[in-house]
Amino acid sequence: MTTRLRRFGLYVLLALVGVVMVGPLYWLFTSSLKQPGEINTFPPVWFPTDPRWSNYAEAWRAAPFGQFYLNSIVTTAAGTLLEVANAVLTAYAFVFLRFPAKRVLFAVLLGALMVPGHVTLLANYLTVADLGWINTYQGIVIPGAASAFGAFLLRQHLLTIPTEIIEAARADGAGHPRILWRVVLPLSRPMLITVTIVSLVGKWNDFIWPLIVTNTETMRTLPVGLLLLKNADGYVNWGAVMAGTVFVVLPVLTVFLVAQRYIVAGLTQGAVKG
Amino acid sequence: MSSTLSRRRLLGLAGGAALALTPLGCGGGDGASTFSQPKGEVPKQYAKRQRVVVWYPYTGVPADAFTRLVGRFNESQQDIYLEAQFQGTYDEVAQKLAAGLQARQIPDLCVFSEVTWHKFHLNDTLEPLTGYFDNGFSPAEYVDSLIAEGTVKNEVWWVPFGRSTPLFYYNRDMFAKAGLPDRGPKTWDELREWGPALQRVSVGGRAPKLHAYPQVDGDWMFQGAVWQWGGNYSKGMDVTIDAGGAVAAGEWQRRLIHVDKLAYMAKSPRVDFTNGLIATLQDSTGVLGALDKEAKFAYGAAFLPEQQAFGCPTGGGGLAVLAGPPKERKRAAFEFIRFAAKPENAAQWSIDTGYLPSTKAAQQTPQMLKLFTDRPGYKIAVDQLPKTQAQDPVRLLVPNANKSIYGGLQKIYADNQPAQQVFSSVAEELRKSAESVRDAVARHS
Repeated sequence: MTTRLRRFGLYVLLALVGVVMVGPLYWLFTSSLKQPGEINTFPPVWFPTDPRWSNYAEAWRAAPFGQFYLNSIVTTAAGTLLEVANAVLTAYAFVFLRFPAKRVLFAVLLGALMVPGHVTLLANYLTVADLGWINTYQGIVIPGAASAFGAFLLRQHLLTIPTEIIEAARADGAGHPRILWRVVLPLSRPMLITVTIVSLVGKWNDFIWPLIVTNTETMRTLPVGLLLLKNADGYVNWGAVMAGTVFVVLPVLTVFLVAQRYIVAGLTQGAVKG
Repeated sequence: MSSTLSRRRLLGLAGGAALALTPLGCGGGDGASTFSQPKGEVPKQYAKRQRVVVWYPYTGVPADAFTRLVGRFNESQQDIYLEAQFQGTYDEVAQKLAAGLQARQIPDLCVFSEVTWHKFHLNDTLEPLTGYFDNGFSPAEYVDSLIAEGTVKNEVWWVPFGRSTPLFYYNRDMFAKAGLPDRGPKTWDELREWGPALQRVSVGGRAPKLHAYPQVDGDWMFQGAVWQWGGNYSKGMDVTIDAGGAVAAGEWQRRLIHVDKLAYMAKSPRVDFTNGLIATLQDSTGVLGALDKEAKFAYGAAFLPEQQAFGCPTGGGGLAVLAGPPKERKRAAFEFIRFAAKPENAAQWSIDTGYLPSTKAAQQTPQMLKLFTDRPGYKIAVDQLPKTQAQDPVRLLVPNANKSIYGGLQKIYADNQPAQQVFSSVAEELRKSAESVRDAVARHS
């Protein structure tokens, strides 16, 4: 009886969390189909009975979203690849290599974890400007190519791999590249996917850096493009703004839904093994 | 080189390389005063022309209008190509320009808000423009109150472009039902007297409120109220928000909200107005177009109500030329200012965007006269324009003054705190922050 009651309570809680999570998304999708008059009314329109698909066409026409998509895909793919590769190598080095001042360097890495991105904004801009990379793909990608967070997360995971496995591989004559590729990475798949997703979502949604480092519409990414839909003073068709937001959200949402079971496995794994 | 690179040596090299890279960007120095232009793209047919870059903050409808204006400018020119680059909101444009000045890569021309241009003027990064005007084009062509705002020590630094002011709106259907005259109130006290009559009007089973005050950025409208009650945010750089008119205005609004229960603080008064929750609204002239689209009732526009006096602040943007680029680029940049001020161009820009016409001649063009009949509210906004004035210096010059003030207003509107107490602490805050710019302001006035 009590277990049933607990079960019921759990379901209520789950439903509540579900509403909190899904509610805004539902609101986003329905609002993107509303007539302009239905957006700001009270009582709210819960379901647009007369869906206005032209919001999507309007949003797509308002700015070169095709180009924004391309730019977002290129910079996110390149940025994520570099960041994950970097994180893997850094984590591997911190766990399996012996080198001087390892502790100090790790403390520095942790320190880097604490520095908010805005602090390095100006320094990065100056560097990128000196390199002549303003308004280029490398200008968007390179400053974010290394992340302390990913390296830290992976390191914590690699520490849980039993040293016996590594030693066995070494005894079989495997060098570092082989151990990394054949032993460590396959064992770290959930964590690797977690780090990849976190990095991917971060880069896809990044707003301020791509805005600062690019000048022309041909180099802008999707989140910056969204800004073009919103009229600062005067009339705003929120339906079209929401439709534009759907363009931005849909790809990451899909990736996230496909990969989310790995993420959960990845985030809890360390917790169990300690 | 033949010996295998030991791990220790490799690490040493890497460390050295890292150290060598650190000063990157700090270099450059002040010796070379060359500013490069932000990168972009020039269409082939304009490749041989002098390239000029403008940074702008417009999105949506004004962005289209601005692009068209720049396009017409380029067609009209033989030797100049103006490239318009969108850089985010007014604040983001300013932020990026500050970074650009450090990296020595800046546009030639920039659109600033009534607040952001001051920062660059105080840091001597704007070009004085008086010398660029000539017989064919004089600063007197602009609306006096608007050009006066961008003029310091007899030098023009910032010319009006895309300006707006607050305007008073009322729901004509509700006014008719309540038996009120079809006009805006002459004074705020008159509006208050109308409150009970409006309470008898029912909209969707509820009585509308008389008025609503914005939760955020209320300090712009409140600047008008402070003058209407005979006070000032500041006299010069001396903060006076804690005495006289400002306190009286705050107290009056507090009574309307908390004693009379005729008003309240709203997230967006305009949305509540279009939904019939409030009978009157104070908002930017820029929302006229939105009201035409969103309001399902007839609305009227009027001058801001007076109390002891009339008071209405200006807001919005303006163009400034940067001091850094070489002379010929600055000359070319000024050509766009000249082009945008031509009556037909200034009028078209206003018609496309809803901003107020910033030159006197633009107001007499045929297309503008047609707009006056099509959209009577717009005519009232233009008629009010000569009576407007630039905001008090402390609101424009002191960093984050706007946030301090509207934060104070929130305490009055939402928490029912006495205006005197609120504004005393706001004044203290403002006086402290004013110190950071006092010297720079003194040098420039």
